[in-house]
Amino acid sequence: MDALAKTDFQTKDGHASTQPALLAHPTAKTGLMMWLTTVDHKRIGFLYGVFALFFFLVGGVEALLIRAQLMFPNGTVLTAQQYNTMFTMHGTTMIFLAVMPLSAAFFNFIMPLQIGARDVAFPRLNAFSLWTFVAGAIILNIGWFLPQATHGAPDGGWYGYAPLTSKNFIPKHSIDYWVMGLQLLGVASIAASLNFIVTIINLRAPGMTMMRLPVFTWMTLVTAFLIILSFPAITIALVELMMDRNFGTNFFEVSGGGMPILWQHLFWIFGHPEVYILILPAMGIISEILPTFARKPLFGYPIVVFSGAAIGFLGFTVWSHHMFTTGMGAVATAAFALATMAIAVPTGVKIFNWIGTLWGGHIVMRTPMLFALGFVWMFMIGGFSGVMHAAAPADAQQNDSYFVVAHFHYVLIGGSIFALLAGIHYWFPLMFGRKVSEFWGKLSFWVIFVGFNVTFFPMHFLGLNGMPRRTFTYDSNLGWNTPNYIATIGAFVLGIGIMIYFIVMIYAFFKGEKVGKDVWDGRTLEWSLPVPPPEYNFRVVPTVHARDAWWYEKHHREEVAKENDEHAKAEDAHGGIHMPFGSIWPFVTSLGMLIGGIAISALDSNPAPGIHLRLALTLAGGAVMFIGIYFWALEGNEGYHLHLDRDGKPVEDPHAKH
Amino acid sequence: MSAPSASAATHDAGHSGEAHGHEESKYQIYVQIAMLLAVITGLEIVAVYLPFAKWLLITALVIMSIVKFMFVIFYFMHLRWDKPFCTILFFIGLVLAGGTALALIALFAAEASVPLPSL
Amino acid sequence: MSSHAGTIDHHHDPSTSTGIPNKKLLMWAFLASDCMFFATLISTHLIYRLHPPAGGLDPKKIFSIELTSFSTFILLMSSLMMALAVTAIQKNNVKSCRWSLLTTIFFGMIFLGCQVYEFEHFVHEKKMTLSNSMLGTTFYTLTGTHGCHVAIGVLWLSLMYVRSFKPAQPDPQRRRWFSRNLLHALVLVAALLLSLKVTLALVHAIQVEPTFGSALSHFVRGDFIYLVGMLLSFGGLVWFARPAGPVDFNERHAVDVEGMGLYWHFVDIVWIVIFTVVYLLEYLK
Repeated sequence: MDALAKTDFQTKDGHASTQPALLAHPTAKTGLMMWLTTVDHKRIGFLYGVFALFFFLVGGVEALLIRAQLMFPNGTVLTAQQYNTMFTMHGTTMIFLAVMPLSAAFFNFIMPLQIGARDVAFPRLNAFSLWTFVAGAIILNIGWFLPQATHGAPDGGWYGYAPLTSKNFIPKHSIDYWVMGLQLLGVASIAASLNFIVTIINLRAPGMTMMRLPVFTWMTLVTAFLIILSFPAITIALVELMMDRNFGTNFFEVSGGGMPILWQHLFWIFGHPEVYILILPAMGIISEILPTFARKPLFGYPIVVFSGAAIGFLGFTVWSHHMFTTGMGAVATAAFALATMAIAVPTGVKIFNWIGTLWGGHIVMRTPMLFALGFVWMFMIGGFSGVMHAAAPADAQQNDSYFVVAHFHYVLIGGSIFALLAGIHYWFPLMFGRKVSEFWGKLSFWVIFVGFNVTFFPMHFLGLNGMPRRTFTYDSNLGWNTPNYIATIGAFVLGIGIMIYFIVMIYAFFKGEKVGKDVWDGRTLEWSLPVPPPEYNFRVVPTVHARDAWWYEKHHREEVAKENDEHAKAEDAHGGIHMPFGSIWPFVTSLGMLIGGIAISALDSNPAPGIHLRLALTLAGGAVMFIGIYFWALEGNEGYHLHLDRDGKPVEDPHAKH
Repeated sequence: MSAPSASAATHDAGHSGEAHGHEESKYQIYVQIAMLLAVITGLEIVAVYLPFAKWLLITALVIMSIVKFMFVIFYFMHLRWDKPFCTILFFIGLVLAGGTALALIALFAAEASVPLPSL
Repeated sequence: MSSHAGTIDHHHDPSTSTGIPNKKLLMWAFLASDCMFFATLISTHLIYRLHPPAGGLDPKKIFSIELTSFSTFILLMSSLMMALAVTAIQKNNVKSCRWSLLTTIFFGMIFLGCQVYEFEHFVHEKKMTLSNSMLGTTFYTLTGTHGCHVAIGVLWLSLMYVRSFKPAQPDPQRRRWFSRNLLHALVLVAALLLSLKVTLALVHAIQVEPTFGSALSHFVRGDFIYLVGMLLSFGGLVWFARPAGPVDFNERHAVDVEGMGLYWHFVDIVWIVIFTVVYLLEYLK
């Protein structure tokens, strides 16, 4: 491919230097510049995955510190302040920096392949989302490294309730960095989701109707809608909080007429759809894995899709079930309780459909299948405790107790994480052309499974016996000692299991058994590609005839071969495959936002030493961001063209006058 | 990146005669609607000074605003002539936003949400 | 992407699965998201009007319905101009598109000017600030956010206007267009800011001084430099707009102008809601 990309700076008509140097297109194919300028959805997905897995480990360490502190009554591993920081950062990291970006890794890598596209609709916007995510992650964690300047990492809880987060109670900047980090993450998520929506709606291969989309792609679409519609609420809530902290407004300030309960509403209007954002991609992954390893199509595809959409929609109607104990009045409480019970219905329907998929199938017990089966069972348990919460009177006891902690860890670890770990094993051969060892993969599953259950099952009882959340220690005469001890042991077993999983995966990345195409005899289009997939994805854009498009292709080889020949000729006659150039400007834009974001978070409205420096830095960050956008807008998106031979290798354009 | 359709050459074949016809009068439609919007705005401003019952005036104002809103989105923003999916997409956001706003106001209007008198 | 000679169907893009151009779909999805954004802000304002703190400020004593009605009309007119800009470029009429863009910018700046004036008036004369009252908190945040959206729109329109001058010929002009483009954009932004400053200064002078004559001399004494700057930048704009051969801006770019138009109209419809709900409803109490 290098032979075709002209060296030096590429321009629209192939001549050098008719463009100003700054608008020339980067041509690096390896090295740091390649990673910083890539707009390839597969590489961007890989980067999301790497960052997500790193932060997953960080969040895990934070969790182990929490469990170490709670192993014994009156523990002294962490001070109360440190404990507050730990549970805040554990929650924030796991949700925003681990699960969401890991889902994004799969959305990026897999979804375009599943719909037969060559990339997403806006490749540079995709790169921008990635780098803005990194910027947000840095700002959230900067407190660990600059304890003097920032006064430590955020410590107001992952949902930052007012008035705890007001300047009265947390005067330091830790909360400002939390706010700014989340804002940047919100921008990244919304931009990525807008991109995915346009991609899925508009870039499908011919014949790929909406009801032939793989379920993972459907869940990507529903999740993208959830993101663009729920993040604005937290954006505004955070803006209001920042203004209260820095500009003396009264949104949540009781002395000025503010109502702290408003924060809870605005936060949970985002926060509830957020948990569906965390679980729907996982459900999508499971809906791919179960049919593949049961050797049967998904049972009740239309109902599964419809349930996913229903969960997405209903997710916006239940937010105050996080507020049953705040005294909203009987009517409001009853309404939200009913809606919460209603949302259990489409969720349950999906579970029945997954069971229906397995029933009568020929089960092939590979590692991804093990994690997927674990998902179905563990998520069900989490669902049961969720339905228990839906009954508002019962929730009056359960709320803010360890029962809730048990519930959401069952759905988030037993649900989301299991599915994501399954997805890594499942798509690893596609992404890297290597297989993870079956024995070690299965072993990691069992250690994780045992560790996870030993940690969190006792928490149901702890909660029902009255142990509250977010308290750094407990006395020894409350009857909580043994379950806490067991839970901590379980947590370290879980940690060992995760370690085994990671080591095995890293080993497989470098030295795993090499495999060829379609190692699991899959059903969907991503498996039709050589492994690892070439930069341009499909040699010829496929024509889709049925759901499970690749399965159809495998059973109608001649028909498909003829079609592909015709389309290959047509595409070649049209100038070949159109590929986008890389670009540095999305990275520059995100860099500007990082600088500005850090500087704003450090601003005080009262002039303090350094106020001018901070203001200057904020403006500088804004300028860098604006420069990035300006060049991005002006560099043009004409791209370059590839011509391929029958084996998918690039050749000189037969019609060229290059 | 775009997925090439099988017959990508037919780029302007979909150009309908009706579309071409209405291009010419679009200028007129836009100006007329702008004048209509101005008139409705004037009516809204006058309405607040009229001696009618509060609920009636609120309803009238809301209806007038909705009418202006719909004219702008269907005509200025071209939804009337575009593919229905654009309308569906926007209305998903609009309906959810409206529903959430109404729910929030209902929640805070409830008896239980009235703030306690100051200490 | 591909180059077309002749008419493009602006309602249908055959390279996409639905026929809707990608950029248009992106903008509609973004606007759906922005609905939630403003709904949250408007809800916050309305909630605090439902339960105003005891002894809180009375909007009827603070708002000026005349000023706000005027700026509402102005924004409506800017919406019309924007729609005309889109139709103009769809018919390949670059000059008409440029004029419509300029008038959209002009009306947008008037709206912003009215808002700046309103805020200054509320702060200095009516003594309502962001932090000294619940009304101030919610009102400034809501209308200020809307104003930021307008400002971003004006900036976008300005950059689009300047972009419409990019020359079509290949080098050597091509290399120079970029710095020209940048300079042109800076001059336009300067013209807008200086016009705003001059207008507000004039208005302030008229309010402060008893006669028009003394107001003028008050203005000239204090803010003459801004007037000079404004006139110079206007001159610069005229200079940059000199005809200089064919430009690389035609109906192929209509989708970009249309996307920007959708954003601008959305800002207008949000104002339709804000005007009724924040201003007009207060007068019914």
